[in-house]
Amino acid sequence: MTAVIDQPFTRSEPRLRPAEIWRIVRLHAVNPTVFFGVPWIILGGAWAITMLISLIVSAGTGVSIVMGPGAGGAPEDIDGMRYSWAVLSPQWYLVVVGVQAIGLTFSFALGFGATRRDFWLGTSLMFVLVSIMYAAAIATLVQVEIATNGWGLGAHMFDALWYGQTNWFVDFYTTFALQLLVLFIGASVTTVYMRWRMRGMIVLMSTTAAIVIATVAVITWSNSWPAVFTWLGGLGIVGAFTVVLGFAALFGVLGYIVIRRATPR
Amino acid sequence: MTSTVVRARGLTKRYGAFTAVEAVDLTLEENRIYGLLGRNGAGKTTIMQLLTGQLFPNAGELEVFGREPAEHADVLRRMCYIAEAQRYPDDFKPSHVFRSAPWFFEHWDAAFAERLVEDFRLPVNRRIKKLSRGQLSAVGVIVGLASRAPLTFFDEPYLGLDAVARHIFYDRLLEDYAEHPRTVVLSTHLIDEVANLLEHVILIDQGRILFDRDAEELRGSATTIAGPRAAVEAFVADRPVIGREGLGGLASVTIDGRLDQAARVHAAELGLELAPVSLQQLIVHMTGTDLRADASEKEVAA
Repeated sequence: MTAVIDQPFTRSEPRLRPAEIWRIVRLHAVNPTVFFGVPWIILGGAWAITMLISLIVSAGTGVSIVMGPGAGGAPEDIDGMRYSWAVLSPQWYLVVVGVQAIGLTFSFALGFGATRRDFWLGTSLMFVLVSIMYAAAIATLVQVEIATNGWGLGAHMFDALWYGQTNWFVDFYTTFALQLLVLFIGASVTTVYMRWRMRGMIVLMSTTAAIVIATVAVITWSNSWPAVFTWLGGLGIVGAFTVVLGFAALFGVLGYIVIRRATPR
Repeated sequence: MTSTVVRARGLTKRYGAFTAVEAVDLTLEENRIYGLLGRNGAGKTTIMQLLTGQLFPNAGELEVFGREPAEHADVLRRMCYIAEAQRYPDDFKPSHVFRSAPWFFEHWDAAFAERLVEDFRLPVNRRIKKLSRGQLSAVGVIVGLASRAPLTFFDEPYLGLDAVARHIFYDRLLEDYAEHPRTVVLSTHLIDEVANLLEHVILIDQGRILFDRDAEELRGSATTIAGPRAAVEAFVADRPVIGREGLGGLASVTIDGRLDQAARVHAAELGLELAPVSLQQLIVHMTGTDLRADASEKEVAA
């Protein structure tokens, strides 16, 4: 762990520098495949596979899958697909995008004379914009899937899990919160590495594991699991994702604090 | 009229028990070309990372353009530093680097960058991961030149560059420097290649500054005396010896400092040969072995 001289900064520049923040957003977007190209390819691939499976299931088993409403000649609803996680498939990649935004782009931006503060604010703005885009797209695709009766095949890719239960705005809000959390987890955990390297990661991981185990132990010994589930159930979809959004904001703030003294590799 | 761009006092950077930069005092003046020379691992990169606010010092004072560099946008916007082992965003191509550069460097000259790309024959649409070492160096050199930052760092710019490319760098830097004066810091261990470019030399070894001198003054500041061993040894007996080589009855000894006219005549009378020492030879002598006070009796084996 490196000791640092903590001197208060005296500033001659304005505290908020929109141009400096915006150029970080542009830097993240200058190679659009990272934030836009690859996630859509993954989502498109998952969609294609879902379509193939739906075709195989409806063609191969004919009568046996009649479980849905089955009105008229419309294709049958493939009920098991409500539990498909295909809609979340780009999330794994987006964690990596969050990691690389700090692990690689941060070092580069410092070489180009960006401050850590502007870099983190710009990166956060990028995350918010990307999350809005994906939230709008997914929420719209849920509606399209419902309107086309599962792309004409009774398939469930977007209208799955908690999606498609209420309206577009709930789907937008939940996707936005989840997306932001995923990006900020990847980015803020990486700031710990950039500041304290491997030692910091080991401390972080062991502390996290200890907290999780302690929480589970306390809940188990006090026989509070039913209460916990009741509380979670009482939150509802919107309430639960407000907690998710709160965590995203927390990771965003922690990442800001940590990156202010991080050093490039 | 020159003004001071960088002023460091007792600048220290430690990594655990290892001290990468130890109590360095350093002053860089405006519009000069500095050579930051030293062996691998001497602390050159650490010093540049401290000056550009990428690392935080453990001790000492540092002022760049009048204030501490780290987290000061007004200071950082006047600097350009592409590290020798610079990391680039995933799947970045040189074209991405040059497209984003003008957002960060207000004096960026896109036409100049384009000309340099042609000069260096850099494939701008190849992924940076796939570039050769020389092409990677070219990316850093092009950014450093075209950014025209008031304080520009070149970190090992010659690494992997072929002879033609090295010559292009040399020419373009001098041309552009003449038109757009700025402070340039060039770090390298390939000393003879840059010797003629430098106006000032800072030699660093094991995190300390060995010397910090005007390049002109440095050229010819050391002399090699060659001849029969006994005569050479007698001649250098009371002079500061920085290097010694021998073969049979012959010896060649390098001393720090110039010889005055009388000494030269005396050497000639003794049948000794005098030769100037190149910057590279001088630095090999200075850093080839530990010659600091505590080990002054050791002889140079180089």
